[in-house]
Amino acid sequence: MSRFERPSPGHPTPIHFPAITRTRLDNGLGVWGIAHRRAPIVTATLLLARGSGDDPIGRHGLASLTGDLLDEGAGTRDAIALADAFGRLGTQLDIDVGPDATSLTVSGLARVLPQALALMADVVMRPRIEAADFARVRELRLSRLRQLSRSAATMADRAYVSALFGAHAYGHGALGTSASLDAISIDDARAFWSAMYGPVASTLIVVGDVDVAEIGAHVDTTFGGWREGTAAPPRAVTPDATPDRRVLLVDRPGAPQAELRIGHVGPSRLTPAYHALVTLNAVLGGQFTSRINRRLREEKGVTYGARTSFDFRRVAGTFSCDTSVQADATGTAVADVLDELDRVRQDEVPAVELDAAKASLTRGYVRNFETAGQLARAAVQLAAYGLADDTFDRFVPGVDVVSRAAVHAAASEFIRPADATIVVVGDAETCQAQLETLGRTVELARPEF
Amino acid sequence: MISVPFTKATLANGLDVIVHEDHDAPLAAISVWYHVGSKNEREGLTGLAHLFEHLMFEGSEHQPDGYFGPLQEAGASLNGSTSTDRTNYWELVPTSATRLALWMEADRLGWLLPALSQDRLDTQRGVVLNERRQSYENRPYGLAQFAIMDALFPASHPYHWPTIGEPADLAAATLDDVRAFFTRYYHPGNASLAIAGDVKTDEVLRHVEALFGSIPAGEPVRPIDTPSIVARSQRFVMEDRVELPRLYLAWPTPGLFEPGDAELDLVADLIANGRTSRLYSRLIHDRRIATELAGGQTSRELAGTFQIIASAAPGHTLDELEAAIYEEIDRFAQDGPTTDELDRSRVQAESAFAFRVESLGGFGGKADQLNAYNIYLESPDSFQTDLDRYINASGDALRSQAGRWLDRRVAVALAVVPQGTSGDPLRDAARLDRQAV
Repeated sequence: MSRFERPSPGHPTPIHFPAITRTRLDNGLGVWGIAHRRAPIVTATLLLARGSGDDPIGRHGLASLTGDLLDEGAGTRDAIALADAFGRLGTQLDIDVGPDATSLTVSGLARVLPQALALMADVVMRPRIEAADFARVRELRLSRLRQLSRSAATMADRAYVSALFGAHAYGHGALGTSASLDAISIDDARAFWSAMYGPVASTLIVVGDVDVAEIGAHVDTTFGGWREGTAAPPRAVTPDATPDRRVLLVDRPGAPQAELRIGHVGPSRLTPAYHALVTLNAVLGGQFTSRINRRLREEKGVTYGARTSFDFRRVAGTFSCDTSVQADATGTAVADVLDELDRVRQDEVPAVELDAAKASLTRGYVRNFETAGQLARAAVQLAAYGLADDTFDRFVPGVDVVSRAAVHAAASEFIRPADATIVVVGDAETCQAQLETLGRTVELARPEF
Repeated sequence: MISVPFTKATLANGLDVIVHEDHDAPLAAISVWYHVGSKNEREGLTGLAHLFEHLMFEGSEHQPDGYFGPLQEAGASLNGSTSTDRTNYWELVPTSATRLALWMEADRLGWLLPALSQDRLDTQRGVVLNERRQSYENRPYGLAQFAIMDALFPASHPYHWPTIGEPADLAAATLDDVRAFFTRYYHPGNASLAIAGDVKTDEVLRHVEALFGSIPAGEPVRPIDTPSIVARSQRFVMEDRVELPRLYLAWPTPGLFEPGDAELDLVADLIANGRTSRLYSRLIHDRRIATELAGGQTSRELAGTFQIIASAAPGHTLDELEAAIYEEIDRFAQDGPTTDELDRSRVQAESAFAFRVESLGGFGGKADQLNAYNIYLESPDSFQTDLDRYINASGDALRSQAGRWLDRRVAVALAVVPQGTSGDPLRDAARLDRQAV
C-alpha cells in the first residue's frame, strides 16, 4: 500500500452497555447501580421525573426555583454550611431542572459516596425553604433573567418555544419570567416540593468504582425514611401541534449577526421512528459535514456553525435549525435552510451520503460510554423516558437497518418547512427587508423575560 | 499516586511521540500540539495562528477535500483550538481507526500547502469573522477580556492582542502570510504527538515512524523576547448591551508552573470561586450587593493574569463592590486561609485530578495533558508533580502570594455598564470606546 493511500477505518469492536443492578426501596425509590472501575471515582444522580413542564399556569419558574432552594439550607445546615460540606468532600451538588425532569448530581472520589449521599438525602428530604433564602434566591433569579434578556441566543430560544408550544407545558423557559416569579410565594415553593418530590417519581443512579450489590442496602439507610407521598402526575400532555408559520423578528439594534431558530414541534423520545430520525438529522444538520453546515459555513462562510437537532422530550419535542449568521446574509441563510429542509423531503438521500452518516453514528457510538458521567447520563435517559435496558445496545443495529426509503419517509413526516416558525434576533433595520423577500408575514416580536 | 505511564520517543526529525496504553475501552485518542499560538504573531497580523488552525481542517495534498468527512465516517470526534501559547488538534476514534487518524495528522503536517487555495482562505476568513461576532461582539460583556488584556500587557507584548485577532488584520492576511506561518511553525521539531488508549506501544511507534518519519525537520523556533510587565493602576468604563453593571479587577501574575502560580489558583478559589468562597458569602449571601461572581488565575506560558469579576445587584454600585472586594483581599493577605479552608482546597484538588485522568481524548483528556506537560515541562507524566503543587501549598504561601500580587494600587479595573449609563459608574475611570477595543 502506498504511503499516500488513506488507511481504512477498520472494524470497530462492538460494545455493550454495562449491566444495571436494580433494587427498589420499600418507599418506592428506584436504586440503580452500574460498576465502572476505570478510576476511583463515582457519580450519583437523583432523578425526579418532574420538571419545568410541571410549573402551574401563572407560576412559570416554580420547579426551577424550588430546585434551586433545596440546597439553600437543609437539615442542620444553612446554605453556606451545605456548600462547605460538599466542598469538604471534594465535590459539589449540581441541580438541573429541565422540562421533564429534575436531576441532582454529585461526582467525586468513590470513598466519599456515603457522606455525599447523606447530604443529598438532606437536600431532597429535609430542605428548609426559609423566607430569607427564598427572597434572596428569587432576587438572584430576577437579576439572572434581566441578564439573559440581553443574550441573543436566549432571546431566540424563548421566542421559539413560546411560538411552538404556546400555553402548553413546554412553552416557557425553566426560569419563568419576572412577572411569574413575582407571583410565586414561598408557600408555592413549599407546596411544589411537597407535591412533586418523593421516592415514587425518583430514581437514584450510582455509577463508578463501587460495589453495586451493596448500594441498595446502603441507600436504604439514607433515603429509606423518605415519606412515600402521592406523587402528582406530570402535567405535560401531547400538545396540539397547530403550526405557527410566522417570521418573528426580534429587534437587536446594531447586532452584527442574526440569531436564527427555524423549525416546528417534533416527536417524543418514544417515537418508533427514532433511529430513522437520528440518521436523517446526521445527514441534514447533526454533524460538521451535514448539509446545512456545509452550505452556510464551508461554502459561504457566513456563520461559525449551523446545526439541526431533534430535542426529544417525554410527550413531544422540537425539530430546529440553530445558527447565527452575519447580518447581511440573514435572508439568504433562512432561504438556504428552508431549501435544505425541502430538498431532504423531495429527493431520497444518495446511498453514499446515507452510508457515511450511518457509519459516523454507529462506529462512533462507543465514544458515548467512556466515563462514569456519560454512563450516568445515559442511565438517566432510560429512567426519565421509561426506556428498555437494551436501548443502547439496539442503537447500532437499529441505525444499520435504516434504509433510504425510511429516511425519506421520516423526512416527509417530521420535517415540514411549510409549517416552520422562523425566529430572527437581529438588527431590524438590516434584517427586515431581507426577510420580507421570503414571502411570509414578518412580525416584530419580543420574548417575555 | 496519580500516574499516567507512557513511552516517549523522539524521531530523527525532532517529533516527540508519547504513547500511553489504557485498554478499558476500545478507543484511542490522538492529540497533536504545535508550540505556536497568538504569542508568535506580530502587530498587523494578529489572528493568524487561529485562522491557520481553521485551514488545517480544509485539506492536504493526499486528503484534499477536508478532514471531517473521513474521520467522522470512521466514528471519530475531532476538533482543534488555538490559545496564546499553543495550537492543538485531536481525534477520539474507535481503536481500529487509529492508523487512519495518524495518517491524517501526518498528511497535514507534511503536505498541507499543495491543498491551500485563495478560496479556502477567503471562506475561512469569513467563518472566523463570524466566530468573532458570535463569541465576542454579539455576546454580553464579550469584549471585556479584550480590553483587560490590552490594559495588562504593553503593546509590544503578544498577550496585548486577542487570539481571535483584529478584524482588519484578518481581512488583510494573504496566502503568502499563511504559507510563511506554516513553514516557520508547523514542523516536527515544534510539535508533540500523543496517543492514549487501546493501542500497542510498539505497533503505534512503528506506524508513527512510517507516517511522520520522512517529514523534513524545520528551523527551531526560538523563545520570544517579551518586554517586562509593570503592573499599574488603570481604570476604564465601557458600555455594552447588558442589564447589570459588572466590575473586572485584573492583575498580571506569575505564568504557568512558575512559583506562585498554584498558590494564586487556590487563592482565587478561596476568595472568589463558587459558593464556598469568601466573597460569595459576603457579597451575594450576606450583603446581597452582587448577583454574579467569578475569579481565577489564568496561567499562560509567558505570564499569568488574576481576575475577580462581580456584577452589581440592582440598586448597588461598582464602587461598593470594589471596596468590599479589596477588603476581603486585604484580610486574606493579612491572615491567610483558615486550616479548614486549606483542608477543603486539598481534597478538592485531589478530586479534580482524579477526574482529569478519566477520559482519554478531547480537550483536557489524557492525550491532551500528556502533550501539555511535555511541551511546558518536558515531562509528559507530570500529573502527581502538578497535584503536589496544590497539596503542598502552605497557608503562609497563599497569604504572601495574595499580598504580593493582588495590590489594589496597581489593579486594572474595568466597568462594563448598560448603554446610556451616565455619570461615573466607577470612580476615577476613563470612558473606553467599544469600537476601539
